[in-house]
Amino acid sequence: MNCFMFPGQPLIHDATLPGDADFDEIVALTRTHTGMDLSAFTWAGEAHSEQVALQVYGVAVSLYRHRCLRAEGMKPAVAAEHSMGVYAALAACGSINEAEALEIAFRVGVSMERRFHGRDYALGCVVGLTAEKLAVLAAEGMVFLANHNTSHHFLLAGGRHEMEATIGQALASGAFSAKIFPCDAPLHTPLLAEAEGELAAIFRDYRYHEPAIPLMNHIDQEFLTAAEIPAFLMRELTETVHWERTYRALQRFGATRFVEVGAGDSLKKYNRWIESRP
Amino acid sequence: MSEELIPKVKQMIIESLRIEGMSPDEIETDAPLFGEGLGLDSIDALQLVVAMEKDFGVVVPDAATGTKVFASVRSMADYIAEHKK
Repeated sequence: MNCFMFPGQPLIHDATLPGDADFDEIVALTRTHTGMDLSAFTWAGEAHSEQVALQVYGVAVSLYRHRCLRAEGMKPAVAAEHSMGVYAALAACGSINEAEALEIAFRVGVSMERRFHGRDYALGCVVGLTAEKLAVLAAEGMVFLANHNTSHHFLLAGGRHEMEATIGQALASGAFSAKIFPCDAPLHTPLLAEAEGELAAIFRDYRYHEPAIPLMNHIDQEFLTAAEIPAFLMRELTETVHWERTYRALQRFGATRFVEVGAGDSLKKYNRWIESRP
Repeated sequence: MSEELIPKVKQMIIESLRIEGMSPDEIETDAPLFGEGLGLDSIDALQLVVAMEKDFGVVVPDAATGTKVFASVRSMADYIAEHKK
């Protein structure tokens, strides 16, 4: 049973882009609905942050890869999403269209960029500590667990100053690696709740159809219904992404082949790690 | 000693990272494993740390050491030869 997995925002963009008709269509859609020129990684009109650009880029690449897979005849029996990969996943499942997926990602990104402008937040990627140890460090450092990807791969979010201290503690506590990345807003933390008004309004602007393919959410591993989608899109921005338990739930559902539909192959690598552990 | 380990290290890389469609001979001994070359990342690095400990009983304690050890297949073989009990 095939499972299409839609990854979240990539940390970097690939300078080498496809040059076929499908990608040209995605480039045109992206330009029309977000103002971003994917080819040059620039904005046609008002400029936005690198993070907004990466969020739009991530959705665009997922939409393109999905087109390629479907053109090859591959069909998923189930789909899963990680973080902001949810917008492309919804399009792939027929709940919204491609243009809407790009537009929502763009509007959410810009909304967070504006709301948290002038405040210094950061992400912290920690590899090699256990969840229990990391939870203690995060609580002491007053940062939040944004992604629980595997038993030993995590993403933290919070204030930059607090993050720098926590990352130092993580390394001192035996983390194999711990690195800081920039962000516009503390994604997947309760701190996003202050932007709930404008973000929820964005999600209410769209009409969601019932997913034609079962789409498992990354918080409680339930399959999304059309009626639940707007509330889930808001909720997922304020709560931890749980990939390991999503992968396990997909296996229990019967998925046997996992195809990553987007930029990079992080989800595939997380799955490999999960599989290698007792 | 480390020269003898090179085929074993290549096999370990392929098995632990589940690289499909590649034989040990296709991995260049002196090419960088991260960034260019095989394009590995920190997720792969931790997988290699566990594999090295399991297959060779050698510990890579932190990312700073890992950066040097995982520079190439040859550097991995050298580290294993030096630290193998």
